[in-house]
Amino acid sequence: MTAIGGARARPTLGRRLRSAAPYLLLLPGGLWLLVFFFVPMATMFSMSLQEGTLATGFQLTFNFEIYPEVIQRWSTQLVRSFQYAFMATVAAILIGYPLAYTIAFRGGRFKSILLLLVILPFFTSYLIRTISWKFILADQGFVLGTLKEIGILESGFHVLATGTAVISGITYNLLPFAVLPIYVSLEKIDKRLLEAAGDLYSSRISTFLRVTLPLSMPGLFAATLLVFIPGFGDFVNAEFLGARDTTMAGNVVQRLFLTNNDYPQAAAISFLMMGLILVGIVLYTRLVGTEELTR
Amino acid sequence: MPDVRRQSPLDSVVRHALMRGLTRRRFLRHAGRASLAAGAAVSLPALLAACSTPPAATPQATPGQGTPPAGTPPPAGDTLNFANWPFYIDQDEDSGASDTLQQFTSETGIQVNYQERIESNDGFFGTIAPALAAGRSTGWDLIVVTDWMVARLIRLGYLEQINVDSEVPQFVANAADAYKNPWYDPNNGHSVPWQSGFTGIGYNIALTGREITSINDLWDEEFRGRIGMFSEMRDSMNFAMLRLGIDPEQATLEDAQRAAQELLAQAPLVRAYYGNEYAEALANGDVAITMAWSGDVYQLQADNEDLRFVIPEEGANLWVDNMCIPRGAENPTAAKQMMDFVYDPEIAAQIAGYVQFISPVPAARDVLAASDDEEEQELADSELIFPSDETLAQTVGYPNLDEEAERQWQELFQQIVQG
Repeated sequence: MTAIGGARARPTLGRRLRSAAPYLLLLPGGLWLLVFFFVPMATMFSMSLQEGTLATGFQLTFNFEIYPEVIQRWSTQLVRSFQYAFMATVAAILIGYPLAYTIAFRGGRFKSILLLLVILPFFTSYLIRTISWKFILADQGFVLGTLKEIGILESGFHVLATGTAVISGITYNLLPFAVLPIYVSLEKIDKRLLEAAGDLYSSRISTFLRVTLPLSMPGLFAATLLVFIPGFGDFVNAEFLGARDTTMAGNVVQRLFLTNNDYPQAAAISFLMMGLILVGIVLYTRLVGTEELTR
Repeated sequence: MPDVRRQSPLDSVVRHALMRGLTRRRFLRHAGRASLAAGAAVSLPALLAACSTPPAATPQATPGQGTPPAGTPPPAGDTLNFANWPFYIDQDEDSGASDTLQQFTSETGIQVNYQERIESNDGFFGTIAPALAAGRSTGWDLIVVTDWMVARLIRLGYLEQINVDSEVPQFVANAADAYKNPWYDPNNGHSVPWQSGFTGIGYNIALTGREITSINDLWDEEFRGRIGMFSEMRDSMNFAMLRLGIDPEQATLEDAQRAAQELLAQAPLVRAYYGNEYAEALANGDVAITMAWSGDVYQLQADNEDLRFVIPEEGANLWVDNMCIPRGAENPTAAKQMMDFVYDPEIAAQIAGYVQFISPVPAARDVLAASDDEEEQELADSELIFPSDETLAQTVGYPNLDEEAERQWQELFQQIVQG
C-alpha cells in the first residue's frame, strides 16, 4: 500500500524489512516444506508413472493406468487400513476422552505427573513397545499360558495374529495423540461456564453434553486426525502383531518397495493413500466445520 | 554345554550338539535385537528407495583409526569395511571382540570395521542398490549375501571381479569341491562362500504330539493356525515345489504358479509368514511347526528340549552365504585378503565352531577333531557343520531368476503372504 503512494519518499530500510518480515518468517518453514514435502511428493508421483525393472532402470511413461490397477489389486488392504484406522480412532477416543477429562478436571496437583505418565511410553522406541507385546501375548507366554493352564482359556485361544491385536496395537501406540489435544481443549474451558450451567438447573449429564463436549470439539477433532492418519499408514503393528489376513496397505507398500523392488506400484499406492487421506480430511472438516480447527 | 538330553529319533540326520548354547539372556537379546533391526530395516530403506537419488548407506569407520598418509597409498588401505549378518563370526559375548578379526589385523595390519548390518538379503539390497545404481561406492568393501542375491548382484553388474587362483589361493586349496564353480557364480568370479546351512522344519513335539518327517506336515489341517512359513519367497516356494516333486533349481514360471497355488491352499492354516522372528514364535509356542534354519533350533533347545529340527524326507533348501565385493569398493585388496584369510583351516574351524553353520572348509573338521577341547571334538562330528554326502544329497538350491522372473515370482508370492 505504501509503495503505491507515488509522492511518498522511498520506504526506509527498516520499514522495508518490517514489511518483508512475514515473508522472511515464512521462509524456513516454506523451504522445509519445499525440500521435505513437495520434492519427495513430486518424485514419488513421477515414480508412480514410470515403468521398468531394477536391471533396465525405470522410465517415465505416464502410465496412469497403474492407479486403477493398484486400486483393484489392493482394495482389500486399502479398505482394511481404513477400517482398522477407524476402529483404532474410535477406541482411542473412547479410552482417551475419559482419561483426559479426569486429568483436566480431577487431576488437581497431580496433573503434570499424570500427563507425564501418558507420554512416558514415548520414551522408548515404537518398535520396542510393539515387539514387547509379542512376548507378553505369546500363545504359551506368561499371560495366556498361565490362563490356559488354570483352564480359563481353551488351549487354542490366541490374541496375536488377529485383527483385534493389530487394532489394539495401533490404539495403544497412538493413544497419547488422542489424550493430549483433548486434554488441552478441556483444560481451556472456563470452569465458570460449568457452574453457570449448574446454577441454571442443568443436570451433570446435560452440562457435559451441552457445554463441555461442544467446547472440547477442537481437541476431539485434532485427536481423530492425529490418530487416524498415522493409523491408516501404519505397518508396524500389522507386521508384528498380525498375520496374512490382517495385512494393511502400509505392509503392501513395504513389501513392494523392499522385496519386489516394484517402485512404481509402491509409489502409486503411497500416493493413492495420501490422496484418500486428503479427501477424507476435507470431507471431515466440512462435516465438523473448519472454525473448529482454529478456535 | 554338554548335550545329553537332545536325543532326536532323527539323530542320524542331525546329530548336532549345542556346544556353545546361547543362554536365555543372550538369546532374547539376540532375538530382540534381530527383530528390532528388521523393523528398522523395513522402514528406512523404503524411505530411501522412495527417492530416486537417495543417500547411500555410508558406514562410519570406528573412531581411533588413522588415515593413510597422503601421497603414498598402501597396497591395501588400512581399513576394511565389512558388513555381515548378526552372530555370524566368533565374538566374545561381553567385549564383542573377535579372535578371527584380531588375528587378521595383526597379520595384515588392516583394521576391520566389522558391522552386523545385514538382517535380510532384500533389506540390505535396498540399502546398497541406490548407491550402486548411481555408480557410487556403498561404503562397504566386503559384504555377505545369499547365493541367489549374489547371482542378482552379478547380473546387475554390482560386484567387483575376483580371480580366486591368484587372489584367494587358500580358497582354491581348501574349499570343498561343492563350493567351487557354483551355479550362481561361475568359476567364483565374484564371490567365495562364507558359511552355508539348511532350511528345514523346526517343531515343538509337545505341541505337535508326534515326530515330523515330511513337508506335508506343514500342510496338515491338524496344525491349523499353528504353522509358520517364511516370508522369504524363495524358501517358501522351494518347499511347495519339493512337496510337488518339482526341482526348484530348474523351475519355470509355470512351476512357480503351481507352487503358488499350493501355498495359497495352505495359507488359511498358516499362523504367519516370518522372517528372523520365526525363532521367537517357535520358542514362545505361537507355532507348533515352522520352516526353520538349521542352526537356530539347536540354540533354542537350550531352553526348551521339546524343540526339534528335521530335514524333511522330500528334501531341504541348502543356502550358501557368500563374501563379495560391491562395485566401487574403496579397499578391494583388503577384502580379498580377508576372503583368503578365512579359508585357513584353523580360522575356518574357529568361525564354524562358533556360528555352527556349515563350513566350506572340510579341513576345519580335522582341526576341531584334533582339539584338546571336548566340545570342539564333538563339533567335528556335527552333521550340521560338516554334513555327510547323504545329507547334502537331500538338499536343493534355489531357482535362478532374472529381474523379470523375479518380479513375476514375487508377485505370485505376495498374494500368498499378504492376501
